[in-house]
Amino acid sequence: MAEPILQVENLVKHYPLTRGVLFRKQVGAVRAVDGVDFTLGRGETLGIVGESGCGKSTVAKMLVNLERPTAGSIRYKGEDITRLSGRALKAVRRNIQMVFQDPYTSLNPRMTVGDIIGEPFEIHPEAAPRGDRRRRVQDLLDVVGLDPEYVNRYPHQFSGGQRQRIGIARGLALRPEIIVADEPVSALDVSIQAQVVNLMDRLQSEFELAYVFIAHDLSIVRHISDRVGVMYLGRIVETGTDTEIYDHPTHPYTQALLSAVPVPDPAARERRERILLSGDVPSPTDIPSGCRFRTRCFKARERCAVEVPLLAVPEEFRAAGGPAAHASACHFAEERKVVPQERRGGPA
Amino acid sequence: MLLEVRDLHVEFRTRDGIAKAVDGVDFAVDAGETLAVLGESGSGKSVTAQAVMGILDTPPGRITGGEVLFQGRDLLKLKEEERRRIRGAEMAMIFQDALSSLNPVLSVGDQLGEMFVVHRGMSRKDARARAVELMDRVRIPAARERVGQYPHQFSGGMRQRIMIAMALALEPALIIADEPTTALDVTVQAQVMELLAELRREYRMGLVLITHDLGVVADVADRIAVMYAGRIVESAPVHDLYKAPAHPYTRGLLDSIPRLDLKGRELCAIKGLPPNLTAVPPGCAFHPRCPMARDVCRTDVPPLYEVTGTDAARRSACHFWRECLDG
Repeated sequence: MAEPILQVENLVKHYPLTRGVLFRKQVGAVRAVDGVDFTLGRGETLGIVGESGCGKSTVAKMLVNLERPTAGSIRYKGEDITRLSGRALKAVRRNIQMVFQDPYTSLNPRMTVGDIIGEPFEIHPEAAPRGDRRRRVQDLLDVVGLDPEYVNRYPHQFSGGQRQRIGIARGLALRPEIIVADEPVSALDVSIQAQVVNLMDRLQSEFELAYVFIAHDLSIVRHISDRVGVMYLGRIVETGTDTEIYDHPTHPYTQALLSAVPVPDPAARERRERILLSGDVPSPTDIPSGCRFRTRCFKARERCAVEVPLLAVPEEFRAAGGPAAHASACHFAEERKVVPQERRGGPA
Repeated sequence: MLLEVRDLHVEFRTRDGIAKAVDGVDFAVDAGETLAVLGESGSGKSVTAQAVMGILDTPPGRITGGEVLFQGRDLLKLKEEERRRIRGAEMAMIFQDALSSLNPVLSVGDQLGEMFVVHRGMSRKDARARAVELMDRVRIPAARERVGQYPHQFSGGMRQRIMIAMALALEPALIIADEPTTALDVTVQAQVMELLAELRREYRMGLVLITHDLGVVADVADRIAVMYAGRIVESAPVHDLYKAPAHPYTRGLLDSIPRLDLKGRELCAIKGLPPNLTAVPPGCAFHPRCPMARDVCRTDVPPLYEVTGTDAARRSACHFWRECLDG
């Protein structure tokens, strides 16, 4: 892996649940993120997938300091940014920018596109001298494939895909090293998604960006990611390179998730093995003991209720090596191919 | 034929002029068959569903032409009173957003039971018992205990099951499902689609599935109709269409989605944007985005040609479908 630029260790975010008005007392906690570790290399893309409520967006917010972690550390180039404040924090935040999911609500409707993309320069005036800003904004519009003449238009004059380009241009303004993108294409139409994904691909090589790409769509995550982490109820349950996760999953949750994704190939219908999970994700206020996935797991045994499985390379695979030897938090990890292999030679 | 839609036209009056949301749509569904209507936002797929179901908001919408033959009767010629009797009893609809489609202040048992009280004249007590049966049928655990609960007390997947139960209540011959699983997580989506497919087989219902998701279509549909700018641009059995699309828009869609089982290639995005429905380009509506477009495409609206030379019943609204089919 490339030189690490961001190291996350035991990241925790609990939201307290309180009762009473005058004598507030804590009666529990929403354990949104409950011990997450990962490392992001320079210029690399880490995909984080999971279903709604798994805590992936909360992780994103902590990375860009929109939420303060309850515990744990986020090291940017070795420095723990959760302990920084004031000027030092501001300097770091310049290098970690965010692109949001919803291009309809994440742009201020009363600001022109030029003001939206230029706003980061107001906050970090050292990034561009005042006289230079308009030109910089126009350059940014050009970089994301929009007409530089559009600077004086308002967000409502753009389509969803174009708005997401504006959001990306704003994220790029300060020339960050890391972009955290939370579901950046899920609000877009299919034909537009591809345009934005291709743009993000291009920008990554052009500006040597590292992405943390958060999404629920497993196909898109595979397309864009070098490494993937699968989250369930506030924890990463399996992580590895895209091939390791998609072609050699060992955690039952990953297997179920992958087997449930509809593949746009009707011929795969009969060849596919579906793992249907029973029930719903438990509430993060009341996380099951032991393995948190055991209540829906088709493999759960007694041991799973008492012993928390650690995210590590399972012993039986460690010696053998190969693509199955990647971190998986399951006592009974075993490889199972669930993504049908392509028959025809791929789309023309 | 269970449902046959012929040359349906729906217009909306907007500030920018008349929007032809549905501009001459034909399709048919047989009993026991699943037809997927695939399209992006603004393609007219949901408006088509609403017009067939008779729940189009008028105004601003207006059905300006065509026929909707349901078991031989033209629904568009019926009185509202008669349509209401058909709706729910003989054809039912499942919506995307279960939370806003269910009444928040009525228990799910009351809402399910209402179907039997209104359409079948049952007593409230009998209706309640049927409601529990239905909840069992769509596999909601502990149905007897939960029948008195309110929609917000159920998870998203469970609410969608309640919607399905409600649609099934009177055993209709046809179900129209508008993006039934779009708001759900993949593992729950798989459960709900599986349930829907199973119930459809069991009751031999016709299903019209409105969706934007090429993956879901490949999983469940028998036939597919692709919509673009208010028209059907291609229709075919699902296997044939995915193997060799006969319209450049369909081909573009298939090439633009990332695949779970493929990695690395650049996605072939369709350039540009779908047209504004108040200003649809002349000729073929897709021509400004089409890599194959020629002069004739800019002037002549392509009819829905019959695609010959294959065993399947296929149609394509492309002047050059033959070339497209050959890749």
